[in-house]
Amino acid sequence: MAQVAVVTDSTADIPAAERERLGIEMVPLKVHFGEETYLDNIDLTPEQFYQKLKAFSGLPTTSQPSPADFFEVYKRLADAGRPIVSIHLSSAMSGTIQSAQLAKSMLPEADITVVDGRSASFGTGMLVTAAAEMAAQGASAAEIEERVMQLRKNTRLYFLVDTLEYLQRGGRIGKASALIGSLLNIKPILTIDDEGMVSPVEKVRGAKKAVARVAERIAADFPGSPVDLTLAITPGFTETAQELEERLKTAVNIGRQRVVEIGPVIGTHAGPGTVGVFALPMQG
Amino acid sequence: MGRRSLSGAEWAAMIMAGAHNLSRHVDRINALNVFPVPDGDTGTNMNMTIRAGVAELERRPSDEAGKAAEVLSRGLLMGARGNSGVILSQLFRGFVKAAAGLREIRVAEFAAALQHGVDIAYKAVVKPVEGTILTVAREAAREGALMARRTDDLALWMRQVLRKAEETLARTPEMLPILRQVGVVDAGGQGLVCLYEGFLEYLQAEDPAADARLAEAFATAARQAQADVPSGRAETARGHAPVQAQIATESIVFPYDMEFFIHRTSPSGPFPEAEFRRALERDGDSVIIIDDGDTVKVHVHSRKPGDVLNLALAYGELTDIHILNMRQQHRGIIGGQEAGSAVGGATREAEIRQPVGVGSGAGGWSAGDPAAGDPPLGMEAATGILSPDDPWPASAAPGRGVPQPHFHAHEMAPYGIVAVSVGEGNAELFRSLGVDVVLTGGQTMNPSTEDVLQAIESLAAEHVMVLPNNPNIILAAEQAAKLAGKPATVIPTRSILQGMAAMLAFLEDEPSDVNARRMAEAAERVVDGQVTKAVRATRINGLDIREGQYIGIMGKEIVSAGDGLFDTVRGLLERMMENGGDVVTVLTGEGSDEEITRRLSDWVAERYPDAELEIRDGGQPLYPYLLAVEQ
Repeated sequence: MAQVAVVTDSTADIPAAERERLGIEMVPLKVHFGEETYLDNIDLTPEQFYQKLKAFSGLPTTSQPSPADFFEVYKRLADAGRPIVSIHLSSAMSGTIQSAQLAKSMLPEADITVVDGRSASFGTGMLVTAAAEMAAQGASAAEIEERVMQLRKNTRLYFLVDTLEYLQRGGRIGKASALIGSLLNIKPILTIDDEGMVSPVEKVRGAKKAVARVAERIAADFPGSPVDLTLAITPGFTETAQELEERLKTAVNIGRQRVVEIGPVIGTHAGPGTVGVFALPMQG
Repeated sequence: MGRRSLSGAEWAAMIMAGAHNLSRHVDRINALNVFPVPDGDTGTNMNMTIRAGVAELERRPSDEAGKAAEVLSRGLLMGARGNSGVILSQLFRGFVKAAAGLREIRVAEFAAALQHGVDIAYKAVVKPVEGTILTVAREAAREGALMARRTDDLALWMRQVLRKAEETLARTPEMLPILRQVGVVDAGGQGLVCLYEGFLEYLQAEDPAADARLAEAFATAARQAQADVPSGRAETARGHAPVQAQIATESIVFPYDMEFFIHRTSPSGPFPEAEFRRALERDGDSVIIIDDGDTVKVHVHSRKPGDVLNLALAYGELTDIHILNMRQQHRGIIGGQEAGSAVGGATREAEIRQPVGVGSGAGGWSAGDPAAGDPPLGMEAATGILSPDDPWPASAAPGRGVPQPHFHAHEMAPYGIVAVSVGEGNAELFRSLGVDVVLTGGQTMNPSTEDVLQAIESLAAEHVMVLPNNPNIILAAEQAAKLAGKPATVIPTRSILQGMAAMLAFLEDEPSDVNARRMAEAAERVVDGQVTKAVRATRINGLDIREGQYIGIMGKEIVSAGDGLFDTVRGLLERMMENGGDVVTVLTGEGSDEEITRRLSDWVAERYPDAELEIRDGGQPLYPYLLAVEQ
């Protein structure tokens, strides 16, 4: 049996080096600045994207990959005789998985498992890298799917945005829409819930307190045991991100930590200055 | 008579006319976009998708219809953008199947293509939702199949298909609550209608023999459709109050929307159309009569449906009779709106719960649910003309499932919140935190139990939280909660700032007991302080206080006093900060002073550099400063 191929989309925000190391296939979404179209995380690095965002009047828009984009990748892998596990951005936020499913239906002979990660950014990324590690060790598609489902339950993610405006204007504000327009300086601590929608877990006053609460929450979510921690930041490592890193260091038993950059598509909807923490129990 | 067949090149030209018409309306379609994700790009996505298809047709032209359909389909699939673009690409795959191997496309193939496209699209979409482009396409295809048995004139046929698509589009707000709530028709459906309009334009232009009067009747009907069904006036930008509500139900003069066929018993010569039209127009409007020889299709809005049927019976047997009360439909629409707009809470709830994303769990519209208003017309009307082998019976299609939205526009919100407050600034702060009703009241003007009760009863919510924000109002509020006809919980907040802290702890998704506990705990954590003037001389806590002096009260205790406002506030805040604090909030009221407020801000920044200070204009009387410290 050939090794299972793991496919994801660009919104998983997995660094290119990591993708190459683990042999992860990535189908990009698209970012549109007016008439100009860029492939997410391919034509446009996060750095370039946030530069453009500053200079661009109006907001960029994003679009899911076409079924044909997925078809091409699936076909190539299937022709090589490989089963495919394809893990993607929450269906509550994007039609990406719809395109993946259509492509799958166009290849009835191929062994393709499409999984709704019900998450975004490295929330999907965590699932995908875990899947790729399992695939490298010879796990079957069914084993990988089962493990991914289980991991999805065990991961925690929190994120802070500078302003809710980007989430609102991009239509991805989910259950946090009640917080729009508050006259007090409220920082919601956001997560992506079981339905794969943005949802507030707590509202606090001011960024400092928000950062402290996120660290406390992670510590409480994983009492004692070492945590596999990923910090997702926008380029430049904002003051909030630095403070969060400090707080996490003191509050949490960190088993492994990495930092990834939030890519153009996620950045379009979360806005500059967004910082996220993704955590799961340390494996093995 | 008009054109009866299209070569591959002609068919491609028709598609291009559709694409052209769509591109002209992109901005309008974007403005309608609320479902599945309100990101305002449905028009752009559909336009980019169809343009990709057209580009492919231009690159690889073919005069064989079957080949052209393949080329278009491939282009669409490659260029599909967004949910609506993907669905569009699936709908057009129907032509590939219907025209396979054919040089020309006729009405029969066209009709089959629409139906195949609908079948393919429904299968392709993970969780089809009614009230979207899918519904519009399905109803149009159904009409197409029906009309294909009556005419082989492409323009005439397309006209009917378009009319059905427009009608169905107008009804999308009845099927998808998010549309009704926002007051728009479905954006994807509108895009499809634009394409069909372009098709018809092409077919009519190529059809000099088209019956001008019929065309005019059609145009009139289209105008009528704009005027008396939701499509036209529903076209407000999202977020604004829908215009439906501004139109009185009673202003629908001819409330019965009728449609039927007359099968002429003894057709001797052409149907006396002009005479019949005049008869109908005596007490009706939106008259459309399509004479297809043996069969005459009639559409009219009337006040007396019985009279219309009697008139028609004189010409033959009547079949496929559909009568709908448009006033009832209208009441259904504005009923939902009123429930949403009369009460801030309901509107807010609805926004939070809007379905986001196909496959996000939007699940089954239920015809039996009284909250859903009238059954969707598209479906009701369709049952009458369903052929036995219809692959999509309106109610019993396994796997497709009629969608179930997260909410109905007039469904109750899970929570309503009543807060007692004083000062315009404070009222605004409370509203911005999600409070639905702000009752005015404070130390000297407490709202009555009845006032609180009325506020509770005014909310269309399953559970009401009451924030008295004053020790003197807690009991009245509790009394009101007991008397209320719905569950209500009083959070015993003793100050405005405790009330605000309680609102911060409130989370929409939590059950009421959890919220009640969280809110009460949050209020307890607040150290609150107030500065006012002594109304009489007293000696307390070692402080000699003269009448008219400023006093600083922490909780229930006077902790500072003096002639100077700044010193009194500072003394109070020092005591409040004794056990530390991260966030200091100050609400300025009547008698506060800008200079003193500024000095206070500077002093806090210097004395407590780690604390976040927020100063807002509360506008309360009697208390120049209200303060809160939170850990």
